[in-house]
Amino acid sequence: MDREEPDAGAEVFAGGGEVGRDLMAVAWDQTPLGPPAQWPQSLRTAVSILLSSRFPMWMAWGPQLTFFCNAAYRDDTLGSKYPWALGRPASEVWAEIWDDIGPRILSVLATGHATWDQGLLLFLERSGYREETYHTFSYSPLRDDDGDLVGMLCVVSEDTVRVIGERRMATLRDLGSDPTVVRTEEQALAFAGAQLERNQHDLPFTLTYLFDPSGSRLAGATGIIDGHPVADPARWPTEAVMRGESELVPLTGDLPSGDWHEPPTEALLVPLLQQGGIPYGFLVAGLNRFRALDDVYRGFVDLVAGHIAAAIGSARSYQAQQRRAEELAELDRAKTAFFSNISHEFRTPLTLIMGPVEELRGRPDITDGGVRAELDVIHRNGLRLGKLVTTLLDFSRIEAGRMQARFEPLDLGATTAELASVFRSAIERAELSFEVDCPPLPGVYLDRGLWEKIVLNLLSNALKFTFTGGVRVSVRPEGDDAVVTVADTGVGVPEPEMPKLFERFHRIENARSRSNEGSGIGLALVKELVELHGGTITATSVLGAGTTFTIRLRAGAGHLPPESVTTEAGAVTVSSTADPFVEEALRWLPGGPEEPIPDRSEKPATVLIADDNADMRDYLTRLLRSAGHEVQAVPDGQAALEAARLRNPDLIVSDVMMPRLDGLQLVAALRADSRTAGTPVLLLSARAGQEASIEGLEAGADDYLVKPFSSAELLARVRANVELSRLRNHHARWRTAMIDSLQEAFFVCDEDGAVIEINSTFASVLGYGPEGLPYAPVHPWWPDRESDPEGFQQVQDAFGLLMDQSAGNYTIPVKHRDGHKLWVAAAFNQVEDPDTGRRAVVGTFRDVTAEHYAVQRESALAALSVRLSQAESVPGALTGVLPVLEELWQATRVYAVVFNGGADPTVFTTEPEARWDALSERRRRALTTLRDKPLLTPVAEQAGGAGIALEHPDGAMVLWVELAEKRPFTEQDQTLLALLAGHLGQGLHRIHQIDQQRETALALQRAILGPAQLPAGFAVRYSPATRPLKVGGDWYDTVTLADGRIGIVVGDCVGHGLRAATVMGQLRSACRALLLQNTDPAQTLTALDRFAAQLPGAMCATVFCGVLDPASGELTYASAGHPPAVVTHADGATDLLDQGRSRPLGVRAETERPEAHYTVPVRATLLLYTDGLVERRRQPLTTGIQRAATAVQQARSAALEDLATVVMDSMAPDSGYDDDVALLLYRHPGPLEVEFPAEATRLATVRSMLRGWLARCGVDSTTTQNVLVAAGEACANAIEHGHRALPGGLIRLRAAATAHDLHLTITDTGAWKTPQPAADPHRGRGMTLMRALMSEVTVTTGAAGTIVGLQTRIPR
Amino acid sequence: MSTPLTLTPARTPDGAVLLTAVGEIDMSNAAALATALTDTEDAATVTVDLTAVEYIDSAGLAALFPHIDRLRLVSNSLLAPVLSIAGLDDITTIPDQQ
Repeated sequence: MDREEPDAGAEVFAGGGEVGRDLMAVAWDQTPLGPPAQWPQSLRTAVSILLSSRFPMWMAWGPQLTFFCNAAYRDDTLGSKYPWALGRPASEVWAEIWDDIGPRILSVLATGHATWDQGLLLFLERSGYREETYHTFSYSPLRDDDGDLVGMLCVVSEDTVRVIGERRMATLRDLGSDPTVVRTEEQALAFAGAQLERNQHDLPFTLTYLFDPSGSRLAGATGIIDGHPVADPARWPTEAVMRGESELVPLTGDLPSGDWHEPPTEALLVPLLQQGGIPYGFLVAGLNRFRALDDVYRGFVDLVAGHIAAAIGSARSYQAQQRRAEELAELDRAKTAFFSNISHEFRTPLTLIMGPVEELRGRPDITDGGVRAELDVIHRNGLRLGKLVTTLLDFSRIEAGRMQARFEPLDLGATTAELASVFRSAIERAELSFEVDCPPLPGVYLDRGLWEKIVLNLLSNALKFTFTGGVRVSVRPEGDDAVVTVADTGVGVPEPEMPKLFERFHRIENARSRSNEGSGIGLALVKELVELHGGTITATSVLGAGTTFTIRLRAGAGHLPPESVTTEAGAVTVSSTADPFVEEALRWLPGGPEEPIPDRSEKPATVLIADDNADMRDYLTRLLRSAGHEVQAVPDGQAALEAARLRNPDLIVSDVMMPRLDGLQLVAALRADSRTAGTPVLLLSARAGQEASIEGLEAGADDYLVKPFSSAELLARVRANVELSRLRNHHARWRTAMIDSLQEAFFVCDEDGAVIEINSTFASVLGYGPEGLPYAPVHPWWPDRESDPEGFQQVQDAFGLLMDQSAGNYTIPVKHRDGHKLWVAAAFNQVEDPDTGRRAVVGTFRDVTAEHYAVQRESALAALSVRLSQAESVPGALTGVLPVLEELWQATRVYAVVFNGGADPTVFTTEPEARWDALSERRRRALTTLRDKPLLTPVAEQAGGAGIALEHPDGAMVLWVELAEKRPFTEQDQTLLALLAGHLGQGLHRIHQIDQQRETALALQRAILGPAQLPAGFAVRYSPATRPLKVGGDWYDTVTLADGRIGIVVGDCVGHGLRAATVMGQLRSACRALLLQNTDPAQTLTALDRFAAQLPGAMCATVFCGVLDPASGELTYASAGHPPAVVTHADGATDLLDQGRSRPLGVRAETERPEAHYTVPVRATLLLYTDGLVERRRQPLTTGIQRAATAVQQARSAALEDLATVVMDSMAPDSGYDDDVALLLYRHPGPLEVEFPAEATRLATVRSMLRGWLARCGVDSTTTQNVLVAAGEACANAIEHGHRALPGGLIRLRAAATAHDLHLTITDTGAWKTPQPAADPHRGRGMTLMRALMSEVTVTTGAAGTIVGLQTRIPR
Repeated sequence: MSTPLTLTPARTPDGAVLLTAVGEIDMSNAAALATALTDTEDAATVTVDLTAVEYIDSAGLAALFPHIDRLRLVSNSLLAPVLSIAGLDDITTIPDQQ
């Protein structure tokens, strides 16, 4: 029964919020789908899933693919088409893209296979213009209740923002990726142009103009041919851009269209801003007409322009800086020359001061003590000044390379001891011990004057900082070297100051000393001078315990320049050089106040030093630290490369000759790696000469310094290189900063797929940082091949895509360094390295784990819901749901075990055979243990499996998912299992409730329809609607009337459920009573009309009412709006009893109800039914009636009960009846049923009755005789054998006809003896006769008696 | 009540015996037929006219078989199948139906 209350059916939209209300408002009856109340269950389920999903979805259903969508889809995609689109044909809704999506939908409907498209470009008109949009979507087939493909469901996510964002980001990234040194403006613009040329989606064409004094000139263009009229500078208004503002200019005419099929309609003019000045020029960007110029688009163009402006600024300032560097170098040369000159100039006046002073001091006539004291002061300070000037001059000489040393072979021990002796008195006066241990050590080449300065400076220094203990000077040979140490027990040098000890003008702050005097150049000079001797000086110091200086000189002259060496040994004398030192030292002894030393301020840089010589490394470290730089020192090139990759320094200072990786190889390796390509390198080498330095520079070094070099020179070079690189690396740093600031993980792969560059997000997402670069495939984050072969395969496929395609994207599972699994969505592009020309892949990805699992949960829940909604029973639900779980986890097997209190728990599984005792003992124990765990708490087992306990209507249930070997069951899997189990538990409960309600209603219905006290010859059936399960108002009835005729009624009340069933019961009783009274169908119905008017819900019921004479087959009938009865003749012909028709009950009409007459032919079958049997959607009723007639016709040889079953089964849709069905069959004539005492004398009477019945069946005389004889023999047997021991028992004979056959059964209540023809030949003959006369004879002997079955065909 | 059957024995001029049966023969009255036939044991040939018999079953046939060597049957088409199955074709004649 299908007519329902008018607002029924609307509940399908209940969960849909606003969209649901708008869907409800659609005039559905004007669509092919009709009113929602009539929708099939499958459509309702699909709509419910759609509306309840938070994922954007739309679906199309029915012949016109009627459009539905949910709120997420409305918000994300539909735009202004909402709510117009609801209920319209999908081809109308998406007319503009129907060429793209139409074929996909048709393919889904034709094949039933889902489609999948990722990032498909579609031009939508939803915002008032044709808009470039990207969508990732899947079309899945939808089936109706009969399993036919009638629609499709689309789950879609719009990727427009992501795709366009990535495209623009790629352009910005490319713009900032120039690793080469930009030398000129032209190069900068050419590079920028090359990048813009590659994105003609967002920038179909661009024109770059620079202002110069004469106006603007075209400096670059992309996407446009040379000489195109639009490139004329006069074409563009410049007022706004001159002021630094953007301007939107409409375009017309023949313009380049870039990557689109239609040219831009607008161009954006953006100034190329210069800090603190008028713009450099402006950029004209032709705009993509398929995107609105929103803030994001405008911002993109602004960024592009900003980039071009920065490149121009950078190129211009680079050139300015270069000029300045040259000027500085010139200034430095001038300064040195000046210093040298002025020092000389000092000596002359000094000489002229000191000479007269000496003279005055020598004069005996000056006796005034005061004057003498003044003269001493002048003398001392004159000496001090002279010493200073000499030192400065020495420096100038060294710096200018003009220091003329003269090395002669001397006894180092004697020379040093002699020099030490001049300090003895001063040291002893300071109450310090003085130990001189200088055994003879001849053959050391020294410049006497310079050596004096070395030793005296060191002794002076020792005295200055030592207050207790003493000073020790020693000389000793050490291998080929001579070692001189000057050790004191002074205040020592703080550890941080050590590196700066030999630095010029460096003084240790706050150190306790005998004097604040000092230029801070003594030790620096010592160092220079020692180095001039080809030696080294080092210092060790312990704060508060003393300092030791160690000079190491080489024996012989081989290491000295030959032109400076003489073999003449001079006398061992101390020159006048010593005087100033001693004089000065003596001056300190009373002590004096300390003076503060001003702070140095430096712009620190990070410097990486690579040298295998530890002394050199230490020296460089000290030197550079002393200049304020942050220094890291490593022993070889390989270590330097690794350090630079981890943390890129501002400058690398490297020796050339090194183990593992030498300096030149280091430079090559740095330049080959994009991250370090721009790092400046200063090479140090002992190899002098033009060729060596050219080799170094060719390798890519930025500067080259030959040993020995002065510390000042090194510091100057370091400073210059750091500053230059800062300027130059502006781009690289900008790029690095930009990449590091990306929210998405960024990576670069080389040709072989090795990951060679990553950003910080990459490291935080995957846990693999830059220290491990490069990461060669198979990358360490790939899923394990053994435990997750599926994931491994996915990543392998994606990797193939990455290597083969020029661009693309994919979503894959990966493994974090700490082992947890996550999902990332990656997009990549192939690029060509502009320097090497090699292919590289640049990609980004983001962590979509949460989204992935959300989608997985959604779809799993949707699948589960569909299965649950299709299930008619609790076991059916389990059988339907288990495959969903199996597929979801790619499980080898899924069990559902119900502990229902029986002997063995009931087992459901995805395999056909499932029995509790067939499970392994271990498995049974595990499942039982799981039963007692807390409900809905997943338990994962180590060896590939997980289970969960939940409530089943019959008791506890355990769900067990058995996974392939080693496959882990992750935390997300457990969450999902718990979610699904919860859902399943509720679903089972719901189905169980519905089942119980249905059982109750069905029991009631059957009770109302009454005990089947049917007259012979009738068969009846009642079936409730199966989906959803519900009883209704259909009924059948037979009433035996007083005159032996039989009243037949089949009726159908409006509605479903208990209410309809109650109304039906009353109508049925009323009809029965009226029929008994009237014995006339038309009058009965007329009387029933009056009754219906009094009974709410009885109006419009339809009833077929007939009165049959079972003897003659004469039937009088009338129909109140009921479908016609069908009569199927024995020969297969059919008659429709469509006369006597009138309106349904209670509907007023002017005329009397008519009545019709019909005679049921012999062995014909009369079929009465309600419309649930024959009514099908989109089919005329006549088609259904014809099908029913055919069903009867084809099975008309079957016994009546069997025929009823066949008709009910063959007419039922695959998914069961939508509506309840009542069915009544009568075959004419009805069967003969006779029961008689087992006495021979009864046989004639029985034979006579059988003969009469056969005549009513229209059976010919020969067949009649055969049947009589066969039946007679059977009865005789029953009398003779069956009841020999039980006289007076009853024998029952039943005879029934089908269209073509006669069926007889003779039943007794005794036991036959086994026939023994020999002993009783004539009984055996009886059996022979039966078999000969009948086509089939069966004898069934049981404890209760014997049944003989006879069957024969009726000749036509 | 037994099944109605009348048996009328007669002698033909040539000394043969003719037993005419009218009615139905079943286990309730087959003994009567057997007795009637036994009464004619002196005759070399006995002809049983079954033309007016509407029914005969194995009980009736059992009464005929002891006399098979001297028996002739006249029957009707209704009984023909049963007699044929019992193997009595060769001693049975069926006169043309009027």
